[in-house]
Amino acid sequence: MITPAAIKAERVSKALGGLPVLDDVSLDVGPSEIHALVGLNGAGKTTLMRILLGMLKPDRGSAHLTGLPVSGAGAQVWSRVGQMLETPFAYPELTARENVYCSARLHGMDRDAAGSAAGRALSDLGLEQYATRRSGTLSLGNRQRVGLAAALVHGPDVLVLDEPTNALDPRGVIVLRRLLQEACRDRGAAILVSSHHLDEVARMADRISVLHRGRIIGTLQPGTVDLERRFFDLVLQSDLQEQEPL
Amino acid sequence: MSISVQAREFEALKFRRAPVVRTVSVLIGVALPVLAAAFMVAATSDGSSQIGLKAAAMLTSAGWAGYLAMVGMLLSVGALMGIGFVVCWCFGREFTEKTQACLFALPVSRRRLAYAKFTVILLWALLLCLVSIAVAFIAGAVSGLGVPGPEDLVAAGKAWCGGAMAALLACPLAIVASIARGYLPGVGALVLLVVITQVVTAFGAGAWFPYAAPGLWMGMGGAAAAETVNPLQLFLCVPVSVLGIAVTGQWWKNMQISAG
Repeated sequence: MITPAAIKAERVSKALGGLPVLDDVSLDVGPSEIHALVGLNGAGKTTLMRILLGMLKPDRGSAHLTGLPVSGAGAQVWSRVGQMLETPFAYPELTARENVYCSARLHGMDRDAAGSAAGRALSDLGLEQYATRRSGTLSLGNRQRVGLAAALVHGPDVLVLDEPTNALDPRGVIVLRRLLQEACRDRGAAILVSSHHLDEVARMADRISVLHRGRIIGTLQPGTVDLERRFFDLVLQSDLQEQEPL
Repeated sequence: MSISVQAREFEALKFRRAPVVRTVSVLIGVALPVLAAAFMVAATSDGSSQIGLKAAAMLTSAGWAGYLAMVGMLLSVGALMGIGFVVCWCFGREFTEKTQACLFALPVSRRRLAYAKFTVILLWALLLCLVSIAVAFIAGAVSGLGVPGPEDLVAAGKAWCGGAMAALLACPLAIVASIARGYLPGVGALVLLVVITQVVTAFGAGAWFPYAAPGLWMGMGGAAAAETVNPLQLFLCVPVSVLGIAVTGQWWKNMQISAG
């Protein structure tokens, strides 16, 4: 029996350099769901994602992937996970194809399967003409596409993507949205994405959580109007509450 | 098992494509034995010139034996510098280029990836020292030393061992490049190591200092000092290397990313 894919943070707190970055954050992503995390710069989005991917240990609370604690996750769990945090998987000395192929191999695919999956992933992201070009010679947007192809190449059913549309052109944004929605629909992927762009996440997410100063301060309803205003209302309300004397 | 193969395949591909590795390969594989041949020519053809006198002082004996000993001396220092630089780059680049996050959330553990890096580096280094010796035979023959005899193979083997020991001794530099999260601190540690080696040797404790022992054995401190180096002192490079590899592997296993 396959464990349902899921991402879960339970009452996670983390301080870095003595400053609290996350404070009692709980969040979950179910199968076939895209959950967007929005917030201002320094809100703690990347730190939360690092904890979910085992890059950082929480001070308190726990993180789970596919129902298992991240701290004890083994090869079986990680082979189902795709991620892109900050720097894309695009080593400058390797070609676009080699980067994507390596990602597929590192996720446990055999050589033949990795070769054909790399070809498909490059084609899905419109990178065929750049397949044999060194990643170091590609534009920022195309390096981002290579990183996304590397995150998606093995067909993961758990995806954690930090600002995946950074540097993408409008066509790239649409392509990514379609790929993520297909991953959700076709293989029941649980997807957590962070972004600054409210209109963009409103089009792709099933749920939107607002992270501000390390706390989840509310949710936004995708598909509703005036998301930006609602977002800033939540932020302002949170700031005012913090300023109120006890 | 197959996970290790995938890790090695990934690291070997990055290694093969890296310009820094190609540059160091040319410097150690070709430039170093050619430089030794040039010193040999300078030492034997015009002993009265400044460079001729200095080159002659480096020679421990005449003919192929002297030339191969000089190659060994240059290898024991040059290989430590060159291979050390590659070790620092190979580990430190993941932090300098911020690709370290790509090595998380994989079925392949980071410790395995670190060991894969060491495997690739050491195989390349041992092969490179072999290439350097092969080029030395060609350069020696071209510079007029004639055809080497079977006894010269022993001197060539000794020179190769000098390079191989330097390769092993370069491994602990990965600890600095990893903990300091960049290749430049590793390169700084390499320079410091060379300075410390000089100081320790000057104080007469060189043979027991693993980084100085290969050079002394090659004849850098003269023929008499070379005689005093015993096998145990030379063997110390193995535990130093193993310790460096193990500590690096453990650090990579436990590493976290707290800053971008």
